[in-house]
Amino acid sequence: MPPREGTYGLLAEFETPGDLVRAAQQAYKDGWRRLDCYSPYPVEEAAEAIGFHRNKVPLLCLIGGLMGGAAMFSLETWISVLAYPLNVAGRPTYSWPAFAVPAYEWTILWAGLSAAFGMLALNGLPSLYHPLFNAPNFRDGALTDKFFLCLEALDPKFDRVETKAYLENMKPVSVVEVDY
Amino acid sequence: MAHATHAKQLPADLSAPALVDGWRNRALVVGVIFAVLAIILAFLGQAQDPEHLGWDHFLRAWTLGLMVTWGFAVGGLAMLMVQYCSGGKWGLLLRRPLEAMSRTLPLVFVYWVVTAVFMKRLFLWANYPTNGSTAAAVKTGLITETEKYMIDFKRPMLNSFAFWWVSILCFAIWAFYMWHLNRLGLKRDADGPETTPHWIKRLENISGPGLVIYAFTMTAASIYWVMSMDVKWFSTVYGLLFLVEQGFQVLALGIVVTLSLSKEEPVKTILRRTEQHDLGKFTFGFVMLNIYLTFGQFLIIWSGNLPLEINWYLDRIRGGWGVIITLDFIFHWLIPFTMLLSRDLKRNKKRLIRVCQFMIFAVAFNQFWLIEPNFPDAARNLHFSWGILEYIAVPVAMMGIWVAYFCMELKKRPLVQVNDPHLAEILEPEHAIA
Repeated sequence: MPPREGTYGLLAEFETPGDLVRAAQQAYKDGWRRLDCYSPYPVEEAAEAIGFHRNKVPLLCLIGGLMGGAAMFSLETWISVLAYPLNVAGRPTYSWPAFAVPAYEWTILWAGLSAAFGMLALNGLPSLYHPLFNAPNFRDGALTDKFFLCLEALDPKFDRVETKAYLENMKPVSVVEVDY
Repeated sequence: MAHATHAKQLPADLSAPALVDGWRNRALVVGVIFAVLAIILAFLGQAQDPEHLGWDHFLRAWTLGLMVTWGFAVGGLAMLMVQYCSGGKWGLLLRRPLEAMSRTLPLVFVYWVVTAVFMKRLFLWANYPTNGSTAAAVKTGLITETEKYMIDFKRPMLNSFAFWWVSILCFAIWAFYMWHLNRLGLKRDADGPETTPHWIKRLENISGPGLVIYAFTMTAASIYWVMSMDVKWFSTVYGLLFLVEQGFQVLALGIVVTLSLSKEEPVKTILRRTEQHDLGKFTFGFVMLNIYLTFGQFLIIWSGNLPLEINWYLDRIRGGWGVIITLDFIFHWLIPFTMLLSRDLKRNKKRLIRVCQFMIFAVAFNQFWLIEPNFPDAARNLHFSWGILEYIAVPVAMMGIWVAYFCMELKKRPLVQVNDPHLAEILEPEHAIA
């Protein structure tokens, strides 16, 4: 794909998470759909405000966990019953209470790994470049104490002048235009 | 400031809403109906051939009711102390219900006195106060050699004098903490905001050692009141199992109470979804800890191949009890675990209340599995008798009366503490947590 050119969007900076969430709610209500919020730490309400939909990470986590547990339990059963049966103090070779602990550990391990790698696979990280890095105030504040709302140029409602006025109405600290 | 303009206002009247009276009346009616039922069942069970155990079952079920209500009273006190040590906004929602739970201790003491008075019908060791009496009982075949040895060996701890005085000492200690923390809770609210740091430190300093003392006293109580029903068995994790069970049931009840109160002011204003979600997660932790310890105890005894200890489990697995322990596993762990795993459920008031109510039932069900197989007529032999229905009638009656008492205590104080640094935070919209 050839590199995109032109305006990526308009970026409004806010001082508090509360201001960001209210601005995002307003923009979503006014029909904006190509928009995103950026904050130094997770602000769940901001995600909800812009209509963030469910993702598949919980499902991946569940499947990973069940697979891990089933795999370890089967492995133990296979070893103890078929491959190398040992008489341990007269207990049956299929001693499920003893199998429960490693199977549980593998459930946790695989659930955790599936969640972590599933998250990376679904959200496109690691990403080396993002147009917003072009905005100096974003570079300075996005990781520490500033909250940003970006209305993107891909949205059909986007208009460089009108949108700027619209964002300025929300009393942000600043509104800057960001290029690709 | 953007913050201030969007914060909610506390209502002027912070006292408990009138719906608590409705709960109290309903609980009292249920309590009385089931109490009558329990007495009828006792006579029916007494008349039933060949066991004639109606009143014995009544007393065993009474002990179950005692353990559950005691779990709420003393567990509530302990959770209050945990909250004072840990801090956190969830405490603002739970503290007053927890205080009310702890103040039901006098009723629990009355319940306990009944168990203590009839201890000879519940505890084998209470019938044999001397070495001579056990030797005679072995000759007539009333007890086995093992039981004789165990009763004689454990007599320094398991005798009626120690039972009475250790229990009374424990009650005295809990009563002291109950009185002290409840008194200071009110005093704290009467003071101005400049005293907040002082109160946080002071309550923390009382609660820290209090928790250590609670762990010891509740271990002693659970050993005397339940574990010693089977003189042949011991487990060092037993007290801890009850401790976790108390956290489990106290949080479940706390959630039910707080979410039900949130239909009306003042809790409506202070309950946010964030803290509701947090309470759900906290409860989930106890669900996991509980299965970890119960299964751990079983696994250790099972892998150690301990001939003495394993009988306790065999009494509770064979002869039909396998069904009960399977259901116990499903009720006490599988259902709460799978339900509370869901984020949406934890944020849904109605469903979270349902799950928590079910968890309280599961606690009582688990106690049934712990208590009934201690007795020779029931060990490895789950069978129907009129008396077994006492396990429904008596605990429901005792719980009904307990809930009525709890509601009465809950009404006594405003439901929101004002001298708390978290109050301002909890009144803000959720996204403003900076």
